[in-house]
Amino acid sequence: MDASVSVPSSGKTLVRRIQRHRAIYILLVIPITYFIIFKYIPIWNGQIAFKNFMPRQGVLGSAWIGFANFVEFFDSFYFWELLRNTVMYSVGKLLISVPLSIMLAIMLYECRITVLRKTVQTLAYLPHFLSWVIMYGILLGLLAPGDGLLNDIAKAFGGRGIDYLTNVRAFPWVVLLSDAWKEMGWGAIIFIAALMAIDPTLFEAAIVEGATAWQRVRYITLPSILPVIIMVVLLRLGTILSGGFNQLYMLYSPSVYSVGDIIDTWVFRGLQEGKFALATAVGLFKGLMGLFLLTFSNRMTRKVSGSSLY
Amino acid sequence: MAKSHMKSPVVGISATDKVFYLLVNTVLVFLFIVIAIPLWSTITLSFRPNHFIGTNFEGMFLAPWNWSGAAYKALLGNNGFIMAFFNSIKIMVYGVASALFLTVPLAYALSIRTLPGRVFFIVIILIPHMFDVGMIPSFLMVKDLGLIDKLAAVYLPTAVSTYNCLIMKGFFEGIPDELKESARIDGASEFTLLLRIILPLSKPIVMSVGLFYAVSFWNDFFHPMLYLNSNNLMPLPILLRNILMASGMNEFVEVSAFGEAPIQAIKAASVFLAAIPMVIAYPFIQRYFAKGTLLGSVKG
Repeated sequence: MDASVSVPSSGKTLVRRIQRHRAIYILLVIPITYFIIFKYIPIWNGQIAFKNFMPRQGVLGSAWIGFANFVEFFDSFYFWELLRNTVMYSVGKLLISVPLSIMLAIMLYECRITVLRKTVQTLAYLPHFLSWVIMYGILLGLLAPGDGLLNDIAKAFGGRGIDYLTNVRAFPWVVLLSDAWKEMGWGAIIFIAALMAIDPTLFEAAIVEGATAWQRVRYITLPSILPVIIMVVLLRLGTILSGGFNQLYMLYSPSVYSVGDIIDTWVFRGLQEGKFALATAVGLFKGLMGLFLLTFSNRMTRKVSGSSLY
Repeated sequence: MAKSHMKSPVVGISATDKVFYLLVNTVLVFLFIVIAIPLWSTITLSFRPNHFIGTNFEGMFLAPWNWSGAAYKALLGNNGFIMAFFNSIKIMVYGVASALFLTVPLAYALSIRTLPGRVFFIVIILIPHMFDVGMIPSFLMVKDLGLIDKLAAVYLPTAVSTYNCLIMKGFFEGIPDELKESARIDGASEFTLLLRIILPLSKPIVMSVGLFYAVSFWNDFFHPMLYLNSNNLMPLPILLRNILMASGMNEFVEVSAFGEAPIQAIKAASVFLAAIPMVIAYPFIQRYFAKGTLLGSVKG
């Protein structure tokens, strides 16, 4: 790849080309050193997944124990629960927020009242920039058992108050819907960009031919952005084992661990409890699966859209 | 931004189209309300006076002249809160500075197609991005470097985002080669070229990547939670979490003797204060992503 893009260097040896770029290599020294220290030492430390790690003995000094940590994880009762919860949240968020984002993008594109369009657009992007700590504060005002807004309304209609954040049945919906509320607008941006790229003459021709607005959406808009939709779905599939640590960590509590604990939150508690090696094995399992999924989804994306992110 | 394609003069709209546009507008208004209510209820809650009797729903319609700033007065008069605010600013400023200091040269070097070993360097930065070993190996690294309980532990491990770096690389690649060549012929060194030609041309991308870094540093609560123990290093997200988790009067509230405002108002006001820098920065951020700067430049 390197040779194919380089300027044909008639007679110039590799040494001369390297010499010519020496200033660039100097630019690279600090960033690459940074990567070795802050990104590759952790990868090296990942070996403790295969060790009986003792903090006093260090990474190298601890004894190898093969796959014992992995076996312990796969045999444990929480393995399937963690996997189920993680995938449930990833897939659930995908199923809820991607269609909502597409709908929002199309509606913003079709809306002919400029003030309405701009206001909704501005407001819908905003929550993406709020952290999950702030989101938790906002949700408390809505969902608190005693005086939250939703319970106020429920009580006004004669219902009973629910503590949404500690109720096992309500909790997954709180997670999925709060994510949709926060990210729907941000997720719509990529679809809006795709909509803007549609050739306007297609719509003009359709109007002349007497197509209704519904037909234009169904037969022009949707097919035009289909490749982007597929790309977004594939890329999200690549991170299916993430599930959203920051959100779950802020919202969950011991009473909803059974439906709120995902791989990353479990690993974090493992760290707090000093179960370094076991939690590293779980993290490494997630990392390897993630690598596999990401490579796969990238390859598929390239097939579908002709280009990929990496 | 989303320009309507219906610019051509259409004489009369059919009945089905009228229904369509009515539906679009109605749903958009509905969405506006759904997004606005939680934000509005938080804002009104933060101004709730102590003597207010009524539900939160009623509180949303309380007239502004009956609002009380007691919660804000209490928070802004509290040393712990002010200190946390400045710790967050410190983390954000140091973080953005080191992030750009690392990302700009890296992205520029990787954007030079004739660089021998370019693919090797790209692979070096992609591997850690694709293969995430998890939080514990990073924790051990930070511990071994002696960074525990130092602000650097919060902003250094996340200083370079591979995604931002690739976006910037894509932008640099779009700068015409003729420009660089003519500068080189005029005798400019690579450093001069980067500082005098490339960076001024890349202001929009450097600004937007910088803003995105700033947002992520400001919002980060995970790394401070993991690495900082001292109270005087505590940034705003951690303090905010402590305030929110407290059901009733916690030590933070007691020490400061916040008699003037209800605890819910204190919570909501601290949420609002923590969000303010984002709300202020938001129009600037929006200007960049609305233009499609980021999306357009990913594809190299």
